[in-house]
Amino acid sequence: MLTTRDFIVKWTSYGAASLALAFLYILTLRGVELFGVSMFLPPLLVGVVASLEDTREGVIFGLVCGVLCDLALAGTFPCVYTVAFTLAAFACSALSKSLLQPGVLCSIAATALTFAFVDALNMLALFFTARADFGAMLSVAVRETLVSCLLLIVCHPVLLYLHRKFTL
Amino acid sequence: MKDFLSKHGLWLLAAAAVIAVALSALSYFSSTSAVLRNAVGVVTSPFRAAAAGVSGWVEDKKRYYQDYNDLLAENQALREEVAELRANARQADRDREENARFRELIGLAAQRRDFVFESAMILDRSNNNWTRTLTLNKGTAHGVAVNNVAVSSEGYLIGVVTEAGLNWCTVQTIIDTDTELGALLFRTGDVVIAEGDFTLMREKKLKVGYLPSDTALLVGDYIVTSGLGGYYPSNLVIGTVESVETDDDGLAQYAVLLPMLDFDAQTEVFIIKEFDIVE
Repeated sequence: MLTTRDFIVKWTSYGAASLALAFLYILTLRGVELFGVSMFLPPLLVGVVASLEDTREGVIFGLVCGVLCDLALAGTFPCVYTVAFTLAAFACSALSKSLLQPGVLCSIAATALTFAFVDALNMLALFFTARADFGAMLSVAVRETLVSCLLLIVCHPVLLYLHRKFTL
Repeated sequence: MKDFLSKHGLWLLAAAAVIAVALSALSYFSSTSAVLRNAVGVVTSPFRAAAAGVSGWVEDKKRYYQDYNDLLAENQALREEVAELRANARQADRDREENARFRELIGLAAQRRDFVFESAMILDRSNNNWTRTLTLNKGTAHGVAVNNVAVSSEGYLIGVVTEAGLNWCTVQTIIDTDTELGALLFRTGDVVIAEGDFTLMREKKLKVGYLPSDTALLVGDYIVTSGLGGYYPSNLVIGTVESVETDDDGLAQYAVLLPMLDFDAQTEVFIIKEFDIVE
């Protein structure tokens, strides 16, 4: 059981690590396209952290990330990230508690799950507002998920290190 | 020594006086240099030459050292001057480009005196795969409001302001899937709707949908804003027709529009804050 101080230090560390990874991503990979799509970091952070931490903490992390992304990034509708990340955090937490032990495979699955939530909402929004072609959107969603999983090479060890440092 | 001087001093003085008088007399009466002086000159000449050589070498080294220090200082000054000139040249290039943009804008402003512009720099571009927006560095503090349009210096439409903060605003570019603009086929005056399309957005294009059956579109036709309804200014160029395609259902046609510029290459845009509504 963590003390209040440890709890604060842990989540401050997660926040700082997330910001550092986001900063690194912006400096190096933003705008870089692979297979016609660009990588997207936030869903990956939410998925991995939610799969490593307790359900309640993971969901709150997802909610906070979602709100921040909705405030800072353009989306297909105003609260897309808040809704998607919160739901995805629930799902990822359930995944890691019932199906897969936290680890690389679990992080990949959690990332894919989070992207599934985000992209499903994006696709629904664009389908109803702009009658966008479903096949084209699905293709982008799949490629975006696969390409973004490459970011796990850096993100997974960092977040796993923090989890181990404060939990074990 | 004291004894020597007391014994022979008088004689020495006398001899010196005699020699002095003799040298003076020789010098006075000789048409060239005096014999003795000449002889001394001949004897001392090599030594003088050697002394001159040594002193010249020393002087040369001294001068070299001085010159080297001067050159170092001059080199440093020149380096600073070159750096300053290069910075000035770069600034001049930037100013020239900016001037060109403003000159083009003045052309547009001369055509459309009703436009009130606000220049803005692009701070950020949306980095996800689902939208195409720009974040600019001007906001409500500068008079920018939602539904203002952003154009390039040539007057080509870039997008519409969808959010405006105090010192920032978000522009939804014309290729974004949410875009829907009243437009005109410039050549014929037919009213059409220019709209974003998810598939075309990824190719940096948009489309003109709902084409009337009797519309005769040609590749290269200009599509401009209609201004109908008074939401946006009229006659801003949206793009040119690249191709005419048939919908998946095979019943309707749409035209693929190529915007006049690459939004990713833009660094500065102009927001039209006010304009006259033309019905």
